[in-house]
Amino acid sequence: MVVVDSETTTVLRVKGLLEFRCQLDSTDEQLVRNVISRTFETLRSQVKSESCVLAVSNSPLIIWPNKDAYATPEEITPSTLCEDMHQWIQTDEQESSGKKSSKKKSKKSSVASVINLRLMTEVTKPGPLSAPILTKTVLKSHFVSVTLPLDCVVCTGRSDTIKDACEQLIEALTHQLCEMEKVTLQNMKGMTLLVPEPVHFLLPEPKGLVTVVYPVGVPDSQLVAQRKELHQQFELPDDRPYFRRANAYHFPNEPYKDGYLRNPHLALTHPTLDNGKVYLVQGIYSYHHYMQDRVDDNGWGCAYRSLQTICSWFQQQGYVERPVPTHKEIQQALVDVGDKQASFVGSRQWIGSIEVQAVLSHLLGLTSKILFVSQGAELASKGRELANHFLTEGTPVMIGGGVLAHTILGVAWSETTGQIRYLILDPHYTGAEDLQVITDKGWCGWKGPDFWDQTAYYNLCLPQRPKVI
Amino acid sequence: MHFFCFWSADEPLDLSKLPAFLVEVLATVLLLLNIFHEIMGRGYIVQDDVEGYLSKLCEQKADPVTGLLIGQSSTQRDFVVMAIRTPQKEESAAAARNSVDKEWVTEHARQVSRMLPGGLSVVGVFIITDADAKDALTTLRQLLFAVENLISSEHLWDPADDDVTDCVTLHINPKTRKTVCRTFDIKDPKSVAKPADWKYQSGLCSSWATVSCSLNVDMLLPLPNNRTSTGNMEECLKEGLKAWAHQIESGLCLIDGKRLPEDSELTVGQRRNVRQTYTAQLLITTENKRLTDVIEQCGGSVSVTGAIHSRAYLHSNKPKARLAEKLLKRDVVSTVATRVQMMLEELLASDQESKGSCRDKQQKELFCLPHRIFCPLKVSGPLCVCDYQFSDEGLSEVTERLKEMLDIDAAEEDLDTRQEMTFEITGCDITPEPTQEKVEAPEHKKNYIGVAMATAVALLATAASMLYLNDI
Repeated sequence: MVVVDSETTTVLRVKGLLEFRCQLDSTDEQLVRNVISRTFETLRSQVKSESCVLAVSNSPLIIWPNKDAYATPEEITPSTLCEDMHQWIQTDEQESSGKKSSKKKSKKSSVASVINLRLMTEVTKPGPLSAPILTKTVLKSHFVSVTLPLDCVVCTGRSDTIKDACEQLIEALTHQLCEMEKVTLQNMKGMTLLVPEPVHFLLPEPKGLVTVVYPVGVPDSQLVAQRKELHQQFELPDDRPYFRRANAYHFPNEPYKDGYLRNPHLALTHPTLDNGKVYLVQGIYSYHHYMQDRVDDNGWGCAYRSLQTICSWFQQQGYVERPVPTHKEIQQALVDVGDKQASFVGSRQWIGSIEVQAVLSHLLGLTSKILFVSQGAELASKGRELANHFLTEGTPVMIGGGVLAHTILGVAWSETTGQIRYLILDPHYTGAEDLQVITDKGWCGWKGPDFWDQTAYYNLCLPQRPKVI
Repeated sequence: MHFFCFWSADEPLDLSKLPAFLVEVLATVLLLLNIFHEIMGRGYIVQDDVEGYLSKLCEQKADPVTGLLIGQSSTQRDFVVMAIRTPQKEESAAAARNSVDKEWVTEHARQVSRMLPGGLSVVGVFIITDADAKDALTTLRQLLFAVENLISSEHLWDPADDDVTDCVTLHINPKTRKTVCRTFDIKDPKSVAKPADWKYQSGLCSSWATVSCSLNVDMLLPLPNNRTSTGNMEECLKEGLKAWAHQIESGLCLIDGKRLPEDSELTVGQRRNVRQTYTAQLLITTENKRLTDVIEQCGGSVSVTGAIHSRAYLHSNKPKARLAEKLLKRDVVSTVATRVQMMLEELLASDQESKGSCRDKQQKELFCLPHRIFCPLKVSGPLCVCDYQFSDEGLSEVTERLKEMLDIDAAEEDLDTRQEMTFEITGCDITPEPTQEKVEAPEHKKNYIGVAMATAVALLATAASMLYLNDI
């Protein structure tokens, strides 16, 4: 278990597959457990041995953590600072124009950067060594063959050297193997074995990054007891999830496979109002907008897209496992609850906040509050309610009125002056997932009260978080 | 011939485009050189000892005499370091001696191939006969394809894009000493003969480089239920070796502790007669994720644990790091595969099926794989051939094989036996308890020590798979 705090400058993440192989020559439970434990012990010795090697991804750096942090190339010594490793790493942003510009990179940012390492095994040793033996065992038995997906994270500070990092990494790896052993033995039933898999979670300050080993294939619904224990251990509130698989921390240098942008609002500078505070959506959502997924919903699909953004939030916070619904699925849900005729499916009819509420309830089992303003001008007075919503629920809000639908991701509100700004995510955008364009052109941006049609009436759908872990 | 236009007369010459233009010129020159090379054929540079060897063969009464040509091929140049005549078949009748036995030649080639460290391979075949040149060429072509196809079918690695697929045939008329040298592309079954140069040179190998390493092997594989014969074991081992070979192939290679860019040149041949040696390190990872079906029933297991010494030679004409890595990795894979194969061949031949010799339900057998011995070639330079010595063989058997297979006269003191140690734990030469059955060693060449044990034995600490025996 590792803590990330403001002292951390570099996060080292080591990943690797270790082969776990053994023969179980008896089905006696205790003997089986002994063999499993012994095999784990062998792997732990392997990790602590001189043949354990860490190769820094996208760089020529290779470190032998158990040989006093000996490394190649020779410019790297055990006393080199961890953050100096960045100079050697080539990122995707740099063009491989033949020039080795990797040395010139130095990123100064307030967020700790991540360095990925691969766990490797050196098979060569200085000789001469004993020639090989072939052993044949004939015995009706069981053979265990698994690859353990090791994934450890270590946080290092400004003054930490590679030698310090190596000690921490090896400790983290051996500790993870112990955790894996525990989980494996816990979940053994007769001759079936579940593979242990590490998942990282970013807990609120000061607890930071934490790694939990879960058995592969067991759904969240069956791991409630483990999560309860973890919530107690880390003193976390027991009404919101932190340890569901969907809550897994997404490392900054890992691209999302689905191609949607996550949290574009983080690229913005937030407004400062006199005595004002900023209240934002909590957690992660994806930006859904016109023309995505090869659906041409230009002119009619804005509320659907806002609804998709909301669904993506609930999925990524771990409340639902269901993927984001398509337009047709949304329409079908409304037909299923009796809100619309069957001909609605496949049509280009608009929906509003009430329909959004109905779909969230029917498809995802969620409750939502509806807020009504008879005139757009009144929205300015809803600062307190919106601020409270973002404080307690923190979910994105769908707002529909006039002829448009939008998503509200936050408010900047001053209790004393009443000044208010709205953080809007606009589903009417038809372009590509270009963060620069989206933020520059205001498709995700802060708007003033004059953004709303002052005379039209508006409905807001405020989804509520289920109180579960 | 194409003529490339780099600028048109009406466009002003843009100097900013000059670097790109020069690159294009260079590329064209290289392309033309390659085409030229193709038309002009390959050039084989041959160790001058080979001339003497072939000459002696010409003086023998036998006709035809066939043999193999050993060397290294690179994209720019080809080297031949040794010629080996096909050994006489003991039981061949006088009549049969005057014809070429294709199977015999290919089998000889297969055996020879096992005795060549990395970097050395069978690059061609020769025939000494005063038969018609066209007939000789046809025979050579048949032999060449048969030999190369057999050898490459045993490889556990995939061919690389930069592998040279041209091989050489040499026809020498013993009376006129006229030499005809042709190459064929063995990747192309319809390949036609292309002319090639054959030039002798002295001290060819004196500045070749050696890359070597000692490498640990640790494999554990399940045997299928109820099918634990040697044949089944062979299947399992072949599969396991393939997977392991893939791991080696995709591993990181360090040369003298450094990770060199692929196209960087190893400093070789800059000083003649100075031994250039490099030590390699190999780092591997597991690629295949296995997260389901993790426990299966099995009838037993087979493991290969221990260490081997691997070596590859590099020609002195500016070899690249990529070549060193490729040749060494291939030697690593083939030395392990060869030994396992040799052990399996011995087991299958002596028909030591476990069901005959031991009635216990549990049975454990240990076989010491043969270890590698190197023999330096008489030519100056670092080149060695190798052989595998089983633990019950003496060095005299090694020198006999070197003579028979490679036509090399080596004395026992010449042999380098220090690269690999014989396995020195009690397991291999333990005397079983009197109450246990002992596998009788056949009187002819004993090539493995199989001991049936039902009692726990202290074994190699690194073989984790054996540790649990102590539990029972």
